[in-house]
Amino acid sequence: MNNTVREHREEHGLSQADLADAVDVSRQTINAIERDRYDPSLELAFKLAAYFDCRIEELFDPALEFS
Amino acid sequence: MSGSVRQARIRRYRRLMAGSVLAGTVGFAAAESAGFPVVGVVIYWVGFAGFLAVWQGTSVSLFDERDRALERRAIAIATTAFVLGMILLWPTMVVLSELEIYTPPPAFDGALLAIAVQSGLFAVVYSWLRYR
Repeated sequence: MNNTVREHREEHGLSQADLADAVDVSRQTINAIERDRYDPSLELAFKLAAYFDCRIEELFDPALEFS
Repeated sequence: MSGSVRQARIRRYRRLMAGSVLAGTVGFAAAESAGFPVVGVVIYWVGFAGFLAVWQGTSVSLFDERDRALERRAIAIATTAFVLGMILLWPTMVVLSELEIYTPPPAFDGALLAIAVQSGLFAVVYSWLRYR
């Protein structure tokens, strides 16, 4: 899933470890999310959105298409 | 606590957990081969207890949702590969054995039995999770 976690993190001047600490996951998990190698759970996605004070759709774009 | 300090703590605790199990296992093997099997079992359980103590005793989450997702995926892939391999091998082994070309070792039957038991257990757990 495309996401803008890295952009939001850099805007806030955080390292991956700092963000990981804030949302209680490992640094590797943040790295995997930023590289689109892991889709976070709904709970973690909401945590990240709450931390960055933005809507979840601003962080994650599932690129869904409906006919 | 800064993010990198917490990450370092996670790494340290994980190493401690692995080291505890490793020490217990090596201690068991050493004591067993030295002729002290009971001492070996005690060392093994102390190692395992150390693993549990570090895991449950720290305030830091040592494993997160991605670790659990990776674990589930690895278990599914490993189990599927093993079961599929055994299912494909089974009729071949029966034929080879009846033709007296090759007799599989007793461990092969043990593995088949383990798969049967695991499949039954899977069906029970799956049904419980689905219909509870």
